[in-house]
Parts: sequence; structure tokens; C-alpha cells
Amino acid sequence: MEYINIFIKASFVENMVLSFFLGMCSFLAISKKVKTAVGLGAAVVFVLTMTVPINWLISNYLLSENGIFHTDLTFLKLIIYIAVIAAMVQLVEMVVERFSPALYSALGIFLPLITVNCSILGGALFMDSREYELGEAAVFGFGSGFGFFLAIVAIAAIREKLRYSNIPAPLRGLGIAFIITGLMGLAFMSFIGIKL
Amino acid sequence: MSETQVAQKSTTLFGKKERRLLTDPFNDNNPITVQVLGICSALAVTVAVKNALVMSVAVILVTGFSNLIISLLRNTIPNRVRMIVQLVVIASLVSIVEMVLHAFQYDVYKQMSVYIGLIITNCILMGRLEAFAMANKPWQSLLDGIGNGVGYGAILIAVAFFRELFGKGSVFGFRVLPDWYVPNGLMLIPAAAIFLIGIIIWIQRSRNTKLVDIS
Amino acid sequence: MDRNSNIYTIIYAAILTVVVAVVLAFVHSSLEPKMEANEKLAKQKDILRSVGLVDLPDASAVYEKTISSFVIDASGKVVDGMDGEAVNVAAEFKKPAEDQVHPVFVYTADDGSKRLILPLYGNGLWDKIWGYIALEEDMNTIAGIAMDHKGETPGLGAEIKDNPKQYNDPFIGKTILDEQGNYVSVKMVKGGIKEPEHQIDAISGATITSDGVNEMLYRGLGYYLPYFNAAKSQTSLK
Repeated sequence: MEYINIFIKASFVENMVLSFFLGMCSFLAISKKVKTAVGLGAAVVFVLTMTVPINWLISNYLLSENGIFHTDLTFLKLIIYIAVIAAMVQLVEMVVERFSPALYSALGIFLPLITVNCSILGGALFMDSREYELGEAAVFGFGSGFGFFLAIVAIAAIREKLRYSNIPAPLRGLGIAFIITGLMGLAFMSFIGIKL
Repeated sequence: MSETQVAQKSTTLFGKKERRLLTDPFNDNNPITVQVLGICSALAVTVAVKNALVMSVAVILVTGFSNLIISLLRNTIPNRVRMIVQLVVIASLVSIVEMVLHAFQYDVYKQMSVYIGLIITNCILMGRLEAFAMANKPWQSLLDGIGNGVGYGAILIAVAFFRELFGKGSVFGFRVLPDWYVPNGLMLIPAAAIFLIGIIIWIQRSRNTKLVDIS
Repeated sequence: MDRNSNIYTIIYAAILTVVVAVVLAFVHSSLEPKMEANEKLAKQKDILRSVGLVDLPDASAVYEKTISSFVIDASGKVVDGMDGEAVNVAAEFKKPAEDQVHPVFVYTADDGSKRLILPLYGNGLWDKIWGYIALEEDMNTIAGIAMDHKGETPGLGAEIKDNPKQYNDPFIGKTILDEQGNYVSVKMVKGGIKEPEHQIDAISGATITSDGVNEMLYRGLGYYLPYFNAAKSQTSLK
């Protein structure tokens, strides 16, 4: 039951993009077409689901005082987390290039840029500060990724429709995307406090 | 003839090109409103001007120094590990900044802990390293890093100013609005920061029409 | 040497790793004393805040002069040789109830009167909340409370820290035991106060944070009941 709670919280109540506004860069840059948004979202789900538990293991068994080195190495935490994320993204990049070259070229530079997507490192850092157990960390990673996926597909769908609207020139493109994101964020606030 | 050509080619300390590196990111090439970089951390830390200021200083320092270091190393980095090397440099600088804050500005550190770490993933750093530092000389790279950091900071402080003013009635912790002003809670939620940036973009592109449809 | 050869890459990576590790370890060990001092001072300030002492220019000196501490176990007995400051309350709450030990801080005012300061730890809406509650010598009347949080909403849950006049001061004078001596704790309630000795107004719009405070108080104070009962059967405060 607790796992379902964590999943719902991570995907809706505390949506990485719409409640904490992490991962905005690729969120705003890739959301012009639904198809590429789906591809990026799926990649993010995979990376988050893998890296959060792996980083948990590293943080608890290698870097903490009770780990195998028996010294407090937490000042290396940031570097090691980002290295794990970079390695995982490299793996995803190789898999996507092999199995879907069309998606690979559509995502372009933004596939390797998942490494610096704030929501991935943010997921690991939140897992840290909330002191989850391993199972909870895994569910949290999957839920956060799923939340990102929902958000980016939703805004891509909206922006595709917006192409036919009459928006003032200075607001076109980035400006209106910000305003929509803000409105979506406000809407997601209605989820606050939901517990199963 | 050739002498003047050679003289123009050599880089100067604060020549026109160098000054533009510092001023372009303020308006024409602003990291947040034009390049679409660095938005993540911009939102959570703009609740108070003090936090925004600390974050801006941190980003200016890290962007400047990471640009400088990578530019110095640019001819030695093996191609295959390019991104990892960049990340390691950035992550080390951010770790140092975090420890310095923990030691010297503890209350700010407590409020911003997760977001300081997230400077690593601040797209501005990677973006400038790839777009500039890997192909330019150290001094210019340092200036570019500082310039982008300042452009980022300007937006941050502008948003924080309005959020703190209307959300708490204060600026930098000092109450400036009279007592009859009831603070507007809407300003304190993150969505408000997004709206404000959208409005800033609207104003900027109305005044600077060559930026319309750029992103 | 060819920049892109395997050997060069491996050597480069190795050198980079060593340099980075050395630099970070150096910075960490030189700053560590300051970091720990900051954490200690923050905790001391929170403890003093619970008895109403705020904005002190030399909080550390006041703390040294007025606060002493000891540790009790789940049955209410004092644990010898343990210092109150050394206990990590958050970690204790994760242990099974019988194994937990908790600190008691004793504040001695200028007029000789004493107050007991007890740490509290709980969950708000978004993340952890915690605090210190001060009781008078009768171990029943509240003398003050100071609360803090990690990520509550400003203007709503965060008011437990930002608005002490409205959400800390009303606790003063409330009692945690009813007339028969039963433990009822103190609660933040919505919709009007029915029991003035044991209730204060909740934060409107922050129901979950208020509930979190109630749970934190009930469980946190409840832990000390065996100690209170044992101490009341003696005549003086340790």
C-alpha cells in the first residue's frame, strides 16, 4: 500500500515537472511534437527507474559510514550520482540508436542531454533527503519518470493544437509555453494531500 | 597592411568582442529567456531575493570557473570521455560551493540544499561548455561564463524581487510594504515564477523584436 | 601520444579522478569543523527558541550557561553516561519503541525555575517537521514551543515556523494532562476550540500540516510519560 502511495505521489501530487519544475529545459525544448515527446518520456522513465535505486545502493553501501569503506564519503555523492546517470544515459543512447534510428535522429542532442536533466539528479537527491528504503526508492524512481512522461506528452499535445491559434507575436513559442506550464502546475496543485 | 591585420587578430583583454561576451547574455542572448537554459533551479530559489542572490553568485562562479578550466584543458580531453570530464569538473566545483555554503552561510544552505546540488544539471553550464569553452581561449571562456551567469542572475533576481515583494511584502528580508498589505500567497507557489518568466519574455520580445519566434 | 587512444583515455581518467578526489577531500576536511559548528549552533538556537529566547547575539554562551541535558530510555530511567546532544532523535524514532532513547534538556532561568525541553519529530504535508517543546516543572503545563520544517508551503504549513505569534505562542499555558491526570496531549483543531486547556486553532488551509503537528506532539510527548510518572513520584527534578 505504501508503494502505491509513493507511486501516486511521485507521478501526480509531486510531479517532477509540474510541481517542482525540474527538467524544464528538455520539457520546453522537446514538446513541440507528441511523437518525440513520447520517445523522450520513455527514455526518462527508464533512466530514472534504473538510476534512483542504483544510487541508493551506492549511497548506503559505499559512501555512508556504515558502508564498506567505513568513512563518511558523502561529499563525493554528487559526483558519483552524476557519473551513474551519465553511464545509464550512454546505455540508453546505444540501445535507441540500435533499435530505433528514426527516434535517435529526432531526439538529437537531447538524448545525451538527459544526463543533465534536472529531474534525474533531482530524483536521486530527493530519494536521499527523504531517506527511502530500497524498494521505496525504486518505486519513487519509476513514479517520477512516469510523471515526467505524462507531463511532457500533455504539453506536447497542447502545443501541437496551439499552432493554429492567434497568439501575439512576442508571446509565440517560448512565452506561451511558460504560461501554459504555469497553468498546468496550478492544476496539479489540486492533487495536494491525496493519500490512499 | 599586414601589420594592421595581425594587430586586429590578436585578442585583447577587454576589446569589443570581450565586452560583448559580458553584455550579450544580459539581453540578446539571455540564457533563460532566449537560450532556454537554466530554468529548473530558477523557480524554486526565487521565493526570496536573498536566495536568488546566493544562487546567482554560485552559478556565476561555477560557470566562469568551469568554462575556464575546460578551456584550459580543451586540447587534452579525449573525445570519448568529453561529456564525463565536463561533468566531473562541474560536479567538483558545485561540491565545493555546497561545502562553502554549509560552512559559512548555514541558514541559506538549509533552505536551498537540494537546489545547490542541482546547479550541476543546470543546462547553462553544459550548454556554454559545449558551445563556447571547448573552442575558445581561457580568458574569453571565463568572460563568457561570467556573462551568462550574470544574465541568468538578472532574471532570477527580477523574478525573486516581485515574488518576495508581493508574496511577503518584503525585499531581502526587510518589510517594505505597509502593514495593510496582506501578502499574496499565489506569489509563493512555484507556478508564479513560471508566469513571471513568461511575462518577462513577453516584455523582452516586444521591445526587442528580432527575438520574436527565435525559440 | 594520440589523444584518442585507449591508453591515453585511461591515464587521463585516472589522473582526473585522483586530482578531483584529493581536492574535494582537502576542502571537506578543512571546512568540516565549521560545518559541524554551524549545525550545533542551529540546534542550540532552536532549543533556546522553545523557551522564548530568540535573536540572541551570543546564543552559544547562553546555551552553555542555562541548558543541561540527560538521556532517558523507554521505561523512563535515566541512561548514565550519555549526553543529550549526542542523540540523533530522527534516527531513534526508526528503532523499535523499546530500544529508543531520547534526550531531555533542562533550562534553568535566572530566577532558578526550571523547564524541561523535549525534542519532537514528525511528518508534515511535504516532508519532515520537527521542534522542541518546553514544559514547566509540573511536567504538564506547556511553557513554549518552537517548530521547524523542511518543505511546507509558505503561507500555509510553513506558518508553524514563520508565524510564532499565531501558532507557537497559543501553546503556552495549555496542559497535556486532563483533570483526572490522563494524557490527552495538545491539538490544533479546526472549526472552533471546544477544550481551551488542550486545544489551539489549526492553520486554515494547512489541515495536513496541523494534523502532522498533532501526531508529532502526541507521539513525542507520549514517549516521555514513563519518565514523567517516575519523576513525579520523587520530590525534585534531576
